[in-house]
Amino acid sequence: MRKRPGIGAIHKQRVEQERFRGKATELQDNVFEQMANQMEKFRTNLENFASKHRNEIKKNPTFRKQFQEMCASIGVDPLASSKGFWSELLGVGDFYYEIAVQVIEVCMATSQRNGGLITLGELRQKLIKARGKAQHHQNISNDDIIRAIKKLKVLGSGFSIISLKDTQDSSDVLIRSIPGELNADHTEVLKIAEAQAFTTIETLKCKLKWDDVRCQQILNELIRDGVAWVDGQSTTKTYWFPSFFKPLINEG
Amino acid sequence: MEFSWPWEYDFPPFFTLQPNLDTQKKQLEAWRKLVIDYCRHNKIFVLDVQESMPLFQNKTIDRQLSSEGIKRVLEILQENQQIEWCDKSKKQCFVYWKTPQEWGNLIYRYIIDKGMTNTVCTFYELTEGDDVKNEEFAGLDKSILLKALETLEASNKAEVIMFGGSEGVKFF
Repeated sequence: MRKRPGIGAIHKQRVEQERFRGKATELQDNVFEQMANQMEKFRTNLENFASKHRNEIKKNPTFRKQFQEMCASIGVDPLASSKGFWSELLGVGDFYYEIAVQVIEVCMATSQRNGGLITLGELRQKLIKARGKAQHHQNISNDDIIRAIKKLKVLGSGFSIISLKDTQDSSDVLIRSIPGELNADHTEVLKIAEAQAFTTIETLKCKLKWDDVRCQQILNELIRDGVAWVDGQSTTKTYWFPSFFKPLINEG
Repeated sequence: MEFSWPWEYDFPPFFTLQPNLDTQKKQLEAWRKLVIDYCRHNKIFVLDVQESMPLFQNKTIDRQLSSEGIKRVLEILQENQQIEWCDKSKKQCFVYWKTPQEWGNLIYRYIIDKGMTNTVCTFYELTEGDDVKNEEFAGLDKSILLKALETLEASNKAEVIMFGGSEGVKFF
């Protein structure tokens, strides 16, 4: 007659399970410890590398970007470091934090005119002008600015980045400094309007194959957002975007 | 020196009253500033609404502010006490890029500096004379001058006098 599993057997089973679990945890702990050690090594190496090439990183935006990408590929984010990685490295108040603050200043100063939508090109131009005479002025690149803005986004500041073209490096990037998402349809219209700073319903219909109603609705939303103005004295109604208007961009 | 037009002046929609009320507010504010800056630069004391001025139109881009738009701009200016209608017909207005009070103070300071208190000056001397050629108030419109002097009278700094058919003023 087969003996049914008794309490003893169940207990034994449990102990064995615990042991396995313990082993698994132990294994996990070991692996994690190894990983942590590796990360420490990476981090230390990275900091050594950064120290050694400090000047290069400081002066050369391309090198700086490559360094960032290298960090990212091994899962280290100097921007997230609480030790003020960049401030120690570059010897200035947090480099990206500084840029972020200046970005906010420029956006606030220009949002009256452009409805809180500014091209990356104009933003960079104004930032360089504002930073110009400072002792620790370095070349800041589009990439630097985008990273600084992404930092702002993490803080939930209502900044968003809109790409009109697919490449990140391109100057066809817009920064929105007022909360309120511009959706894909809005972006399509902006892409078309960018070249001449204006567009018409006819042009939109032709290029996007939208119907009148959709064109008008999207344009109305852009007007409502303060991003587009109406010109009623052209042959057909024209919709203008101060964000792309050259004489405004080149001013001060 | 050439007047430097603001970026809005070359922006075609600037001449169309905007449907978005927030944008319209910005637009009217920009117009208000433009009118004041333009008048200050060209020493325009009286604005004639009917006359087609380079101010409310830009021939280069073939755009012109409508009469409704002009009306709105003038309303804003009036709310800011920067214009005053010459009469009920609202065809002309004084433009106060300086208020009568400010003109009064400017003239009074000049008088003090020149040690001309307790002497009588004619209005002509005050605005057209050689001595005042380089002063800001040179060429000041007579009506505005009178208002300026009235503010000085109110604080007992001046007294407007008529003598021998001319108008003059004594400063204290």
